[in-house]
Amino acid sequence: MNLSQFNNILRQVFLLPVVALLVVAGALYLQIRGANATVNLIQDSDTRISQATLVSKLIVDEESGLRGYETTGDLRFLQPFSEAKSHVQAEIQSLDNMGGSDPDQKKDIEDLRSEHQTWQDAFALPVIAQVRGGGNTDDVDLNLHGRELMDEVRHDLTDIIQKAESSRTRRIARWHRQVHNMLLFLLGLALGIGVLIGLFTRNRLHAVSAAYRSSLEILGRRAEELFQSEQQLRTTLDSIGDGVITCDAAGHIQMMNPIARELTGWGQADATGQPLEKVFCIVNEISREPMETPVSKVKRLDTIVGMGNHAMLIRRDGTELNVADSGAPIRDQRGETIGIVLVFRDITMERKTQDALIANEKLAVAGRLAATIAHEIHNPLDSVSNLLYLMRNGASAEESVQFMEMAQQELTRVTQISRAMLGLYRESKSPVVVDLKEMLQEILLLMERRLADTEVKVTADLPSSVTVAAFPAELRQVFTNLITNAAEAAGRNGEVRVSVTPQTAGAEGSGLKIQAGATVTIADNGPGIPEEVRPQLFQPFFTTKGEHGTGLGLWVSRGIINKHGGTISVSSDTSKAAHGTVVSVFLATNPTINAGVD
Amino acid sequence: MKQNTNLVLCVDDELVGLQVRKILLERSGYTVLTAPDGPSGLEIFSVEPVEVVVLDYSMPGMHGGEVAARMRQMKPQVPILLLSAYVDLLPEVTSLVNLYMTKGEGAPVLLEKLGSLLHPVDASQQ
Repeated sequence: MNLSQFNNILRQVFLLPVVALLVVAGALYLQIRGANATVNLIQDSDTRISQATLVSKLIVDEESGLRGYETTGDLRFLQPFSEAKSHVQAEIQSLDNMGGSDPDQKKDIEDLRSEHQTWQDAFALPVIAQVRGGGNTDDVDLNLHGRELMDEVRHDLTDIIQKAESSRTRRIARWHRQVHNMLLFLLGLALGIGVLIGLFTRNRLHAVSAAYRSSLEILGRRAEELFQSEQQLRTTLDSIGDGVITCDAAGHIQMMNPIARELTGWGQADATGQPLEKVFCIVNEISREPMETPVSKVKRLDTIVGMGNHAMLIRRDGTELNVADSGAPIRDQRGETIGIVLVFRDITMERKTQDALIANEKLAVAGRLAATIAHEIHNPLDSVSNLLYLMRNGASAEESVQFMEMAQQELTRVTQISRAMLGLYRESKSPVVVDLKEMLQEILLLMERRLADTEVKVTADLPSSVTVAAFPAELRQVFTNLITNAAEAAGRNGEVRVSVTPQTAGAEGSGLKIQAGATVTIADNGPGIPEEVRPQLFQPFFTTKGEHGTGLGLWVSRGIINKHGGTISVSSDTSKAAHGTVVSVFLATNPTINAGVD
Repeated sequence: MKQNTNLVLCVDDELVGLQVRKILLERSGYTVLTAPDGPSGLEIFSVEPVEVVVLDYSMPGMHGGEVAARMRQMKPQVPILLLSAYVDLLPEVTSLVNLYMTKGEGAPVLLEKLGSLLHPVDASQQ
């Protein structure tokens, strides 16, 4: 139920009683009007009765006045008669004029009038005339006749009064009935409307109550869901394998999950409200300089900042851990930063594993060169030892000179190989100037045997010497790895082209600054790398060589090139016409070495 | 030292080593034919009455194992001595040849092994 439905119900519940009361008032009005009409009729009856009584009194006055005059002959007695006579017709007329009389009553009045007239004309006036003339009025018949006439008049009057009274009685009874009916009707109406209002209100209130109950249920469910979801979030945060710290916008700690507490060595109670730098104190593992925490970086850049490299977390007890961390702003609905969340994990083991893997790959590169090394050392050694045997067993002076020359030649070869090999292993603390042409030639020399064995044709396009600042052992490892890959991809009778292109500093059309340096390109005409595996090329342990590969070559190579501030990219074509793979490595002449990135 | 005139075929892509080996064997009285790779070695092997073969394992194109297998098909009775710069050769390669040795073990070892291949009885008596 929405708010407008609820308002509608309120309106209905308010309006219905008003309408019902109006109906009752209307009915009451009609009833009262009916009762009033009846009261009016009763009053009419009363008036009629009193008028009839008045007429009756006048007639009695007439009769008694006449009788007095008849007895005494004195005119003074005739006075009432004369007065009544002058009024009586008028009063009868006014009686006749009264409303509400039925034909029967009219006839009665007509009878009264005519009989009174008859009495007056046929008895009263002759008697008066006779008395005035001094005649005798003792005649019994005459008087009897007068009395009969008067009796009829009286009879009529009585009729009229009786009828009026009975009419009055009827009307009163009707009024009583009406009042009674009205009471019953009102009672019934009130009861009906009451029940109606009651039922209607009950029905509406039921709807409201149902809606209220369902709202309450929904609220309850929401609250439960909210609680559950919060609980779940809390559990998730507690169970998560990484350390999580949330800070307010000012960088003060609000919450730490158990891993964060364990890694930092701080308890939640101690850490809450502390500035993050105090609890999460990180330094660069190589330079030991304090590092910017992800939180201040987030505050500065207002964006998600990624895992930093070489961060060393100093725990509360002073012990140290390698950590990788990232931070992200917590934004409210308006997009304003209200806090910062920091996620970090212990990568000490990971770092050790990584170091072991890198060392392993270095060995693997050397291992892959074992054929060359064995061949290149054993072959000259074999020749030299044979030559020595020949010389010992009696060679002429001339022959000896020739043999020694040959031995010298062979030993020079061994020395060269040994130097090239040492180059693969000699570590230098800081970058030195490396001639790429020389280095590539040395590498190709080391690999010569291997390449010849697999009948891969190598073309080197090394026009002039190009120097870059680098760690030579590491670069050697990269190029050995890349040339090995190319040779393996090219396969029997395949071709590998190695070239160096110097690049002068300048600006691209797009305004990108280009560093001075050189691009080393190693291309093969092998089958190419299928598009679906290309994204995985630089992933550790990804190999297409089955058991023969460590899956670390390109991963380590990229690490080394990144450390040198260079780039490595692979483009490949699997089409029939132009299949092959090209790996390009750009190295700057004076790079910014990212120390420790590997 | 002139008592051995057996015809030896040396196959090796290392030209200096091959040349020195040839001089060494000739001084020891062998008649020596040389080939710089597998295919030309097989060709000489098929036409010449070669009595023993000194074969290098690691050669571009066709390695020693392959050459030995073909020689066995042609003349299974001719003994083969396999030389290798590697320390450990695969068993399927070593089982093809009569003897094998690592380069750099020295001339006396080579001559001794070669002699034992040509005169097995003498070798066992010594």
